[in-house]
Amino acid sequence: MLGAQLALNAVALGAAYALVAIGFVLVLNATTAVNFAHGESVVAGGFAAVALAMLVPAGSAIPGIILLPGVLVLTALLGLAIAALAYLPIRNRPPVSVFVTTIAFGIIVTNGLNAAFGAAPRTAPALLGTGTIEFLGVTASRQSLAIIATAALLIGALAFVLQRTQLGRQFRACAQDPEMARALGIRLTRITLLAFALGTAFAGAAGLLLAHQFFVTPSDGAGLILKAYIAVVIGGWGSLRGAALGAMLIAFFEVGVASVSSQPLAEGLLYVAVLLVLLVRPDGIFGEPQRLRA
Amino acid sequence: MSAMPRVITAAAFLCALATGAQAEPLRIPVLVPITGFLALEGTSQKNGAELALRGSGVDFDVDDTATSPEIAVNAFERALTSGRNREDVVAVVAPMLGTQMLALVPLADEFAVPMVTVSGTARITELGSPNVFRFFPGDVVVKAAHARYAVEELGAKRPAVIFQTTAYGQSGRAELDRNLTALGHPAVIAEGLDVSVKDMLPVLSKVRDSGADALLLHLHSGPTALVVRQARAMGLNIPIIAGSAMHQPETAALLEPSELAGVCAESGASPISETNPDMLAFADAYRAAFDREPDAFALGQYDGVRMLLAAIRSGAKSSADVREYLSTQRYQGLAMTYASDGKGNMAHSAVILCYAGDSRVPAIVKRYENLTGVL
Repeated sequence: MLGAQLALNAVALGAAYALVAIGFVLVLNATTAVNFAHGESVVAGGFAAVALAMLVPAGSAIPGIILLPGVLVLTALLGLAIAALAYLPIRNRPPVSVFVTTIAFGIIVTNGLNAAFGAAPRTAPALLGTGTIEFLGVTASRQSLAIIATAALLIGALAFVLQRTQLGRQFRACAQDPEMARALGIRLTRITLLAFALGTAFAGAAGLLLAHQFFVTPSDGAGLILKAYIAVVIGGWGSLRGAALGAMLIAFFEVGVASVSSQPLAEGLLYVAVLLVLLVRPDGIFGEPQRLRA
Repeated sequence: MSAMPRVITAAAFLCALATGAQAEPLRIPVLVPITGFLALEGTSQKNGAELALRGSGVDFDVDDTATSPEIAVNAFERALTSGRNREDVVAVVAPMLGTQMLALVPLADEFAVPMVTVSGTARITELGSPNVFRFFPGDVVVKAAHARYAVEELGAKRPAVIFQTTAYGQSGRAELDRNLTALGHPAVIAEGLDVSVKDMLPVLSKVRDSGADALLLHLHSGPTALVVRQARAMGLNIPIIAGSAMHQPETAALLEPSELAGVCAESGASPISETNPDMLAFADAYRAAFDREPDAFALGQYDGVRMLLAAIRSGAKSSADVREYLSTQRYQGLAMTYASDGKGNMAHSAVILCYAGDSRVPAIVKRYENLTGVL
């Protein structure tokens, strides 16, 4: 039954990583720019949950799921700030300029959180309570199950918006050909702002999901952006389903492969897998819709 | 010694400094990592130094060294060369991050300025520099206590070790291996973890499969708490003896008291566990100044700076005088008695503390005094 438990843990971790990677791709598709402050947005989501939980009177525990709307709103506002300060003013400059401004923004977020909350790891409330559930001999953590359900809900809602609404069609048009989209009357700046808000809100949601079980510290962002980047490279630059698949693959290596080898070896094997994917399919598993690699 | 004589001594020292002040007061720059992955421990280091220096009459500026050697080197050069007379700098509080210390040692030798630190990295005192003074027991000391407690007190015969794959982790793992082997019970399994690892179930399942009867950790704060929580959640109820990260109140705060039952940790000291008046006074002053609980890093750095001030009080006026004092004198600090072993290792004792499961304040269950035989 250990195998089933490991599989559940891997899926839960992969689900949270998938939110991070999908948020990263949303911005990428709308702007063709890499938002290097995305990892810090995940961390900001975790700390937003910690801060919101502190507003509740001491002694009364609040489920993390109640905090989710607040976290989404706060991190969406953070996304708008990233767009307004680190992207829009320099969007016509070479991509490397956006790298630098978003990295700088991320450092500001990290140091701001460090100043506000301190450097110690913090924990956010569990989504729907703590403890485990026994089912067919498998001990499943409530938090893991809640992470999977919440991530599935958010990804499903995003898929609906992108596939079934006019806004979604505008998003996809901008991702495929921004100039043609502009010629057709789509307001690119509006779509860009929405992409930053939505992508960063997804990152924030992932921060909430991860911050209970795995804690959150101000300096966690660098590791998370690396995971998002790898997930997107594996899945296909600009592909949302590819990002989700890449995220699951990372979690599979972190949990599954590590359980039969060792964690450092599993990490090494992950990068070997990345190289193999790029060797066999240079555009990633699901192609490269934008044909632009930053 | 009660708190009152110390207060009187400090007051007399302040008066002496005030009346006999030179045109330029002496300086002790504080260079510590207060951002980045070591920010938690670095902030404790800063607070300890700052608490000792406040009101001492010695000038000090705090500079963040973050986590890269380059930033530490720049901060050091800036502290020594910008503005004021370099001769005013009698010592530097140097970062606890080992890689930064390794980069700073040649500079300290070039400027002939002693560095006082709480870095645990063994190698910093193995470079032959006369300017490194470590006020926190190094791995040679704390890992001996760590292994001995597991084997001699808990009766572990099949210990498992989980360590961080950083320089910090590798250094501690090597000492644990050496001590466990010397005690006749080498680790049945030793697993390395990157600091970014989130799910501990894979490594803990291997520990369980190995038949280990005790789990020794040498991890940073967050990973330590993750391992403890997940070990308890999966029913792995063997004794856990963690590294010094577990003694930090911030680490304990991440766990429920019930999850802490049966968890012990090594450390140089545990200020919140002590009951003697001097330590209580220190803890109260620390809480009042920084609104957080003190830990062993803060206390070690506090003691180190207090020894620097004792050197100045005894007449040291230059970095050479201070170096001579640190190299040859014995100092009774709050945590322990300090004296150099000839390489700059000043701390030679360690404690083991354990959590009972009903609170987040551990009790000191074993003291290992003078493990190096220097005192």
